[in-house]
Amino acid sequence: MEIQEAIMNYSKEAGSQHGQEPSGQNAGVTGDDREARILIRCDKVNFFYGQSQALHGISLEIPEKQVTAFIGPSGCGKSTLLRCFNRMNDLIDDAKVGGGTIKIHGVDIYDPKVDVIELRKRVGMVFQKSNPFPKSIYENICFGLRIAGMNDKSVLDEVVEKSLRGAALWEEVKDRLHDSALGLSGGQQQRLCIARAIAVRPEIILMDEPCSALDPIATAKVEELIHELKKEYTIVIVTHNMQQAGRCSDLTAFFYLGHLIEMDVTEKIFTNPKEKQTEDYITGRFG
Amino acid sequence: MNAASKQQSIEDALLKSKKFRLFGLNADDIIKHFFAGNATIAIVVLALITVFLFREGIEFFPKHYESLRLYRWAGMEFVDYLKHESTDLSALNRMTNLMKRQESEVLRMKGLSQAQIAERLAPLDAFAAKFSEVPDGLNGLVADLTEIPVGILDRHKMCVNAQSHKTLLIRMGKIAEANAVKVDVIDFGKETAILKTFLPQCTEIHAKIKQDIVGLMSAIPDFESAEARATSLLFKKLALKFTDGIPVTEKKMAEWNPGEPIHFYRALTDFIFGSRWVTQSFWYDFYGVVPLFVGSFMISLLAMILAVPFGVGAAIYVNQMASKCEQNMIKPYIEFISAIPSVVLGFFGIAILGESVRWLTQQSCLSWVPFFPISERLNIFTAGCLLALMAVPTIFSLAEDAINNVPKAYKEASLALGANKLQTVVRIIVPTALSGIVAAVLLGFGRVIGETMVVLLVAGNRISIPDFTAGIGVFFQPAHTMTGLIAQEMGEVVRGSLQYRALFMVGILLFFISLFINYMAQKIVTKYRISAG
Repeated sequence: MEIQEAIMNYSKEAGSQHGQEPSGQNAGVTGDDREARILIRCDKVNFFYGQSQALHGISLEIPEKQVTAFIGPSGCGKSTLLRCFNRMNDLIDDAKVGGGTIKIHGVDIYDPKVDVIELRKRVGMVFQKSNPFPKSIYENICFGLRIAGMNDKSVLDEVVEKSLRGAALWEEVKDRLHDSALGLSGGQQQRLCIARAIAVRPEIILMDEPCSALDPIATAKVEELIHELKKEYTIVIVTHNMQQAGRCSDLTAFFYLGHLIEMDVTEKIFTNPKEKQTEDYITGRFG
Repeated sequence: MNAASKQQSIEDALLKSKKFRLFGLNADDIIKHFFAGNATIAIVVLALITVFLFREGIEFFPKHYESLRLYRWAGMEFVDYLKHESTDLSALNRMTNLMKRQESEVLRMKGLSQAQIAERLAPLDAFAAKFSEVPDGLNGLVADLTEIPVGILDRHKMCVNAQSHKTLLIRMGKIAEANAVKVDVIDFGKETAILKTFLPQCTEIHAKIKQDIVGLMSAIPDFESAEARATSLLFKKLALKFTDGIPVTEKKMAEWNPGEPIHFYRALTDFIFGSRWVTQSFWYDFYGVVPLFVGSFMISLLAMILAVPFGVGAAIYVNQMASKCEQNMIKPYIEFISAIPSVVLGFFGIAILGESVRWLTQQSCLSWVPFFPISERLNIFTAGCLLALMAVPTIFSLAEDAINNVPKAYKEASLALGANKLQTVVRIIVPTALSGIVAAVLLGFGRVIGETMVVLLVAGNRISIPDFTAGIGVFFQPAHTMTGLIAQEMGEVVRGSLQYRALFMVGILLFFISLFINYMAQKIVTKYRISAG
């Protein structure tokens, strides 16, 4: 109750200061990241499901080729924000961005002139539950290319191998590329989904709790993979697992009840958070 | 003290509950037995229906076998050789009329007057008149010969009746009276020997026909219209084919032997592969199911060709593309169609669809279409259209279910990879739901092939194999179906007769077709469940 009140006061404060949140203001541009180019820039984003507001004035910046983790209790809006980045929320009736802008490379992605198809090709996504198509492993990887009109077998072969290697899955499946993808284990399926996402060479990969349905060994593999992918891609990951955020992200943003409470370098968030709620959450004192 | 009384009350509650009991059964048991009883009755009734169907139908075989034997013994087979020739010749005669019609049409288009046309057609008329005289001798012979097997059969029937009368008397104990009944035995070999004596006369007639036809071939006049010329070429070809066939027929007639045994399997094969279904004729009843099967199959095929795109397309649209408001409008509306009684649909088919289709084909702007104008208002096409209307709700509902069962995650994954809506539907949704869609189509097919009222009303009910040489026009010919035939003939058939049994056999055939379709649909659905789960 106290916390809720605190949040309410906090958001009023933030509102009166026109979104100049005390900690969100310099989000992602502290320390070493100052030199990194900002890829995604959110400015006072509000989001509504029908009448109920899911996001309240979120402002943050996500730098290029870094792993940014979104943490927070269930229902705090972190997945919603993530799905705003490739406009997957468009699929939900009545869901809309009500105010604020999200810019990628300086382009407002909610501009009516934006080609959603092209946006989604550049912003790949990996879902909470692995969802390979009921096709062969090969065809799963090819899907993104085939819909773009690429049918050259040699190119496809090359991309399949490269993507599977990129997702650290090649050695495990190279002998059964034409078997159904549904025959893979959960962890393999999730890595296949990552391979499928990187096959279309996106710039950003959004991961919505990619390890929540996996066992610790599979989780470790995916985390290792995230570490590798960071060299080439900008990654935004939503996770419930604090350790995971600590292990594999460079920046961490803490959300609570649709508000961005704090965003900073991961190390700082976990060792010396500015806000009390963040500390409480990280140390497991509430939620 | 307190604890002891509490203990006591728990025991009371557990052991001495005064629940309602009937015949030692409590309420739960009664409910359980009630439902078990319902299920049992349903199964027993279904089993009884199946058993009854087979019991009534299976006797078709001995009866049909008997009928086939009599067909040979009485010499009907022999006479039918000549009858075939006679029908062939009359068909050729009809072709001369067709030529005349086609030619006069062209001449009229050229603006010639009635008198001029008559003048131009004079040579053709002369030819037609001569050709119509060709079969005269043959027809006379056929008429004479027809009497013989009919007479033999009549006497055979009398003998059989006498025999059964005698058996009845014996069973009643009236031996003396029974002995008084004289039972003849017909010697079919001797009776039919007379048929063979006509062979020389037959050969003579054949020779004359051949001579006439060959002679007339050169007398075919030339035509102005290309259509008539094509018809005349076909006529020539068929006429020569006929003359070539004469020696074959003669050979068959010479070798014909009434005593030759008939294999028992013919009782089945003549039913399944027989191309004629003729009942209650004065001559001989044929029970070949092919015309009915072809009619049923073609009507269902046409219905499916029309219904599948509409049903599946609507399902895809409603599930994947339509807004909430459209969904709420379209779904109940399509399902509402299945609430229309089929007889009302049939009425609509006769009064509106059949009439308007015929009116449309008679428009001069459409006369370039090869098979227009159509002559029959009630045909395969009208029946197919109405059945398609009846199959659409079934296919739509089941296909929509199948598409709805495709996990949302597939759609999300596809869209997240940059696929547009159409690509997602074509490459992900439809392939994943395909087995469900196929099952929906099969069940729709089962519904269509079993439908009776509509086809009885609008299919035209002509029992013959449609003329496939007409190309697409074959769909504008009348046909009869297995279901329609049963409904039509069952009312006027003598119980226990061969025809009665034959109708049951048609019913059994339908039963197997439906069983097969449903089995396939079930199998595909099961497979689908495994792959999606």
